Amino acid sequence: MNKAILLFAIFISTFGFSQNTSKDTIATNQQQNAVNTILSSKNSKGITIGGYGQVDYNQPEGKNGKLDVHRFIIFLGYKFSDRVQFVTEIEFEHVKELFVEQAFLSYSVSNNFNIRGGLMLVPMGIVNEYHEPTTFNGVERPNVDKSIVPSTWSEIGIGVSGRFNEASLRYQAYIFNGFASVNNGKVLGGLNGLRNGRQKGAESIINTPNFSAKIDYYGISGLRLGLAGYFGRTQAEDDVQDIDGADVGITMVGLDARYVHKRFSARGQFIQAILTDTEAYNILYETDLGSELKGWYAEAAYNLLPLSKEQKLDVFLRYEQYDTHAATQDANIARNLAYNRNEWTLGLSYHVADGAVVKADYQFFDNALENNKTKGQINLGFGVWF
Amino acid sequence: MVLNSKIFFDMNFKFGLILFVSLITLSFGLHKDLNKKIDKEIRTTYNVETYSYNVITISQEVVKELTAKFDNNNLLKIHTKDELLGYAYIGKAPSKTDEFDYLILFDKDLIIMKSKILIYREDYGGEIGSKRWLKQFIGKTLTDELVYGDNIAAISGATISVKSMTLAINKLLQSIKILHNKNII
Repeated sequence: MNKAILLFAIFISTFGFSQNTSKDTIATNQQQNAVNTILSSKNSKGITIGGYGQVDYNQPEGKNGKLDVHRFIIFLGYKFSDRVQFVTEIEFEHVKELFVEQAFLSYSVSNNFNIRGGLMLVPMGIVNEYHEPTTFNGVERPNVDKSIVPSTWSEIGIGVSGRFNEASLRYQAYIFNGFASVNNGKVLGGLNGLRNGRQKGAESIINTPNFSAKIDYYGISGLRLGLAGYFGRTQAEDDVQDIDGADVGITMVGLDARYVHKRFSARGQFIQAILTDTEAYNILYETDLGSELKGWYAEAAYNLLPLSKEQKLDVFLRYEQYDTHAATQDANIARNLAYNRNEWTLGLSYHVADGAVVKADYQFFDNALENNKTKGQINLGFGVWF
Repeated sequence: MVLNSKIFFDMNFKFGLILFVSLITLSFGLHKDLNKKIDKEIRTTYNVETYSYNVITISQEVVKELTAKFDNNNLLKIHTKDELLGYAYIGKAPSKTDEFDYLILFDKDLIIMKSKILIYREDYGGEIGSKRWLKQFIGKTLTDELVYGDNIAAISGATISVKSMTLAINKLLQSIKILHNKNII
């Protein structure tokens, strides 16, 4: 399988370079004119520095609160030429954990065809790709984007992306490394679904490549629609890979929509993952991974300030429903109704400037267990993106 | 109108020829065909097969008053042998981490006829290249004020570039208005 990836890489890079050669040959024969002169002036800025971060205060009802520098990310980019660019995001989580969230090299073959390889975000749902705190409402990311889509979900891979301006379409297609069946002793399970399996490119093991693709359509004013698919298997260690239950198959599909019209905005997504061979996996690793994960949310927001203001004050309401035990029969485990969760989030996002937001919200957590008491939580925090 | 002294225009002076711009450059890749792109937009927007253009030069004093950037190379007067077709402006505006190049075509009454993103250099925000989205600028006049999210629709996932383009066109409209009032165009 490794061979397949290598071949794919060679194939696309050859294609890329052949295109480049033709361009250069022709460019030298081009006549310069006024327009050409200004536009060919070197525009690449070399190094780009940016970042984003959020500091949160979570206060659950009847418990002690938590104050956390949840994440702080340094963005570093370097443009070697107009075609070749390196992008990396270095993340500090909870002050003390260090991750490289993204690190990839991208090569632009043309306006609508780019090749990129390295540690990249898996395009699924809204928040995994657009996770900067100024881009979503609520102090915390939606839980569908935590328990069903295990954000931040990034793995090493190679793929293509591009846009078609005529059709208002963006496409992405990648071959990624998958989740680990067992990740530093942690197994996949009912509470968090696939979350424990994220290898994040840290000495990650691979025996089966996974395929991921997403199409975004933004041709209707104010509306953006996304359709994503992820297909593959988890990765098993050499010594167990032939044993029954060493890995599970994953088919995940996601639909998302975002809409903005003047002061009103709304978004929603639906994610479903079907897992196969979970019965053998659960036996082998004594865990309770369901055979289906499913979740959705819908959110509406209204900006209380006039559009002419630079500041924005969004009041929003979100309902989420997600179940990491959406199906358990094929996994041959008992269904835990506590994993069938729903929550309401009502809050404010006060964008004090472009790129800086102060947030406050109240959340009600509930699940499908009989006699379960709804729990409340207050969240306060700020987020920045620059 | 003062002509620029680029090779093309020297020829214009010396031989008094009407310069038919036919920028035939086969090309691949990013900046491919920048000329070809501009040429194609001009021909399809004004619905002409051939046309001429002159670079409009603006004195430094006047340039200082303008919020949009003019470097005596990026504002063109487009005409045929016997009629004025309009004006073309080629500008740059910031995206999240880079800059993009855009083209605005005005008719002879200085109403926007076409807007196009010529080169977009990063992944984030490339949605503003959408033909559908860019249509919003068509018909805008020098007295129009563009407001992000109001008369210019937002695009989720491309906020920075959408705001940047909106601001750039606002500055351009204001600057063109000043140039028009000064009878420069």
